[in-house]
Amino acid sequence: MRRVLSVILAATLAIGALSGCGKQSEEMEENGTVTITIWHDKEDAVAEVLQTKLETLEPEIHVVLEKKSDLTESLKMVGNDPKAAPDMYLFAHDKIGVYAEMEILSPITDIISEQELEQYVESTVEAATYKDTVYQLPIYYETLLFMYNRLYMSDEEVPKTTEELYAYMQENTNGGHYGFVEQHSTPYYAAGWINGFEGSILSADGTAGLDKPETIAALEYHKKFVELMPGETEYATVNTLFKEKMAHSTIAGPWLIPTVRESGIDVGIAAMPVIDETGIPISPYMGVQGVHVLKNAAENKHEAVEKVLRLLMEPDIGLELAQASGCAPANKACYEMDEVLSDEVVMAMKETAEYAVPMPNVPEMDVMWTVAGNLLTDINMSDKDVTLSAQEAQQEAEKLIESMR
Amino acid sequence: MKKGKNTLFAYAWSAPSLFLILMIVIFPILYTAYISMTNMNVYHWNNYEFIGLENYKDALLVLDNGFITALFFTVLWTIVNMVLQVAIAFLLATLLNIRKLKLRNVYKTLLIFPWAMPGYVSILLWKTGMFNSQFGLLNQWLQKVGFEPVRWLNSNGMAFICCTVVNLWLALPFMITIIDGALQSIDKSYYESAMLDGATWLERTRYITLPMIKPIIAPSVIITTFTTFKQFDIIYLLTQQVGAKTGAEIHTILTYAYEKAFITNNYGYSSAVSIIIFIMLIVFSSVSNAEPKKRGNN
Amino acid sequence: MSRKIKEKIGLAVVNLFFIVLCFGVLIPVLYAFSVSLNADNSLLSSDFSFLPKKMTLNNYKAVFFEEPILLWFKNSMVMAVVALGISLGTGIPAAYAFSRRDFPGKKAILKMLILLYAFPSLLSMTALYKLLSPLGLINTKIGLIIVYTGTMAVFALWNMKGYFDTIPKEIEEAAMIDGATTTQLVSRIVLPLAKPTIAVTAMMILIYVWNEYIFAINFMTGSDTYTLAAGLYSLQATEMSGSWPVFAAASIVVSIPILIVFFALQKNMTTGLTSGGVKA
Repeated sequence: MRRVLSVILAATLAIGALSGCGKQSEEMEENGTVTITIWHDKEDAVAEVLQTKLETLEPEIHVVLEKKSDLTESLKMVGNDPKAAPDMYLFAHDKIGVYAEMEILSPITDIISEQELEQYVESTVEAATYKDTVYQLPIYYETLLFMYNRLYMSDEEVPKTTEELYAYMQENTNGGHYGFVEQHSTPYYAAGWINGFEGSILSADGTAGLDKPETIAALEYHKKFVELMPGETEYATVNTLFKEKMAHSTIAGPWLIPTVRESGIDVGIAAMPVIDETGIPISPYMGVQGVHVLKNAAENKHEAVEKVLRLLMEPDIGLELAQASGCAPANKACYEMDEVLSDEVVMAMKETAEYAVPMPNVPEMDVMWTVAGNLLTDINMSDKDVTLSAQEAQQEAEKLIESMR
Repeated sequence: MKKGKNTLFAYAWSAPSLFLILMIVIFPILYTAYISMTNMNVYHWNNYEFIGLENYKDALLVLDNGFITALFFTVLWTIVNMVLQVAIAFLLATLLNIRKLKLRNVYKTLLIFPWAMPGYVSILLWKTGMFNSQFGLLNQWLQKVGFEPVRWLNSNGMAFICCTVVNLWLALPFMITIIDGALQSIDKSYYESAMLDGATWLERTRYITLPMIKPIIAPSVIITTFTTFKQFDIIYLLTQQVGAKTGAEIHTILTYAYEKAFITNNYGYSSAVSIIIFIMLIVFSSVSNAEPKKRGNN
Repeated sequence: MSRKIKEKIGLAVVNLFFIVLCFGVLIPVLYAFSVSLNADNSLLSSDFSFLPKKMTLNNYKAVFFEEPILLWFKNSMVMAVVALGISLGTGIPAAYAFSRRDFPGKKAILKMLILLYAFPSLLSMTALYKLLSPLGLINTKIGLIIVYTGTMAVFALWNMKGYFDTIPKEIEEAAMIDGATTTQLVSRIVLPLAKPTIAVTAMMILIYVWNEYIFAINFMTGSDTYTLAAGLYSLQATEMSGSWPVFAAASIVVSIPILIVFFALQKNMTTGLTSGGVKA
């Protein structure tokens, strides 16, 4: 036994010593090359396009694109520790408020002038603005889309209004088939209905709107659709139903399209149905994916950061991303290219974006995802009274927002 | 003089271990206690200040009706799970120790499989593979024999049972291993003489097995009790994950604290809540710790 | 009716019981296994069978060739071995000291340690980060190993101390008279007798290091420094791009080493005091 132990101990020491001189993340200055680390959580297709593009900066600048799980939580922890934090990150705009308040983000206008940002679709820059400062260089944006399986729903049958959709659902939901499915009790998805009633989960200035009469009306109206949908709200179930041809139509993100096409579905994309009562289409949240620069990097690697950003501003990146993964470019110039104009998915998103609502980027939104999620499950899955639940949720939201400070 | 040497020896031998514990276990608690008295939140991330017991005033508000319910639930959850765990593990370990069972090592290895998978993988498998109301295996089987599909995680009672099943699935391998090891350590001659005296299986269990294994399994049982009490992943991931809620509203004090405090990104405030829960746990366990006292008086 | 027949029937029943039980317990695992062999990219399917209709080994190929799984495997191995060494190296002496010696503060420390275990660990992450970062231990294996050994230290101490307590002192006293030093005493007498508890403790530490992913993801910044569990987690973390069958294949692959180790350690877990002829 002692021999065993001493072997273990010796091995421990040896390995410990070995791993001690293992490689460090700081590969900064080797023959003048500056390393820029970018965290992201994107699909491989997107990362590949960016990687190829960013490689043209070699050997002067070496860009490491690091796919990072739990990116947002990690950033809170390492944000102002230059040893562990990335130089930039690629993510949706909705966390800008949190990080801006935490003072780990550098305004993008410190590096790129405001005039130059005019080449972007206005709403994307607007989404990236928190307290009058732009914190993100937009690259592409995404909204949910109305998708249908042409096997069941012909192009003429596509519902123009929500009542038509409801009629279609009533007719076609039986025997394991669903006329329409969505992640009904997930706030990101239900937001489209709430916005379409001119209600809100959280207003742009950070006030919760769960008990607004419009919101309550939306929740009440939405519930009758939910009754014709499966009792699960999570991503895998809903998308599998569509992929397995059990659901005729759905509202989902553009990222679903490649996998759906792969499974041999002739998928059609249409404009969002108009809500009969208000005359406004279902108006989903818009998310702007872009690059954010951390304060440390802006201060210490200004030049390299600027070069990376300038490269990412070139319109052909937008085009390549559109072709690779159906991303809708944020750069206006892209919409003069035939390849983009003829892309069904991109153009559908552009159309939806006209009435879509940018996700609030204030820190308060962090608690709203949970509160709104609870409210939706209470109403849709536990059959609780709509008005009462909404009022309770509103109080809860106000309390939580209060305790953020 | 011998005593002094003894003490020195004991401290020297346990110093490395205690030092590790000091760093990794105690430091975070002290740090949390410190942060709980500051206003560290999104708006004062780097320039936080000492604000005394301010956070505790707010944190006590978390102790509302919902918290009391969650506390009851947590206690119930701990008791149910621990009783089932120890009872089932004892039964299985006893069966595994039947002398002529040749395949016992195969059974043991298969039974510990759940232990070998990362916890979140198992929970994910259970949630989507087993309990999913549309595609889950359970419902597919139910439908095959002509029953209506069940929404397993939708109601509180059912969700409680499901979470318990998953917890047992994850925790039993450890408990079986521990009890099995303890059973092995009992000298067989005790049983032989008891058999000669005509003691039944129950009597042997009661008067030989249990008293003999108790001191050996006690530390593991105590530690598992705490782990069960602190269990967060199973309940959270099965029923409450944002974007995948199932409609059941079962909260342990930890998931409750998570929804009421941690999501606010207010570290000062959530630290205060943590410390309060911690203190409650300490009070709780010192009230109910008559058991461990019996041992450790060497 | 003879005893023998009765015994045989009983044994058959027990065997049958265990076969059914093992199958029941393994259903989720078999499910993952089946998904990993399935040619369609889906964790969910409306008509599931344990043998998929279209079988493929591509997912396993993807695990080994497209993902840096061998690298993660190496990282996990290194960490598991080192953490195990340190845990036992510090835990055994400590447990022995707590079991055999009386010293001021012993009971208080023991009691306090178990209470500390009650601290909800949700918040320790930030604190540990603040501790490790100034020491330059973020993004290093050593940093993670310290976290792992520290986390398991309370368990190791408590668990082994409990077992040591059941080993009678008399044997040691006899050896002491023969002039053995304490180190000799521990390594020649106590350790062989305590094999089962050491094996169990080692197993626990190994499994913890093998399966832990939260610290690994947050304290290691690059994916080539991930452990298996962390790498696996990152495989499925983004639901839009996650490939379920690859993930399922990876989770099976990850479990195999643990099972092998368990099988190897089992002998040690089962032969304990029984062979020594020690009366407790």
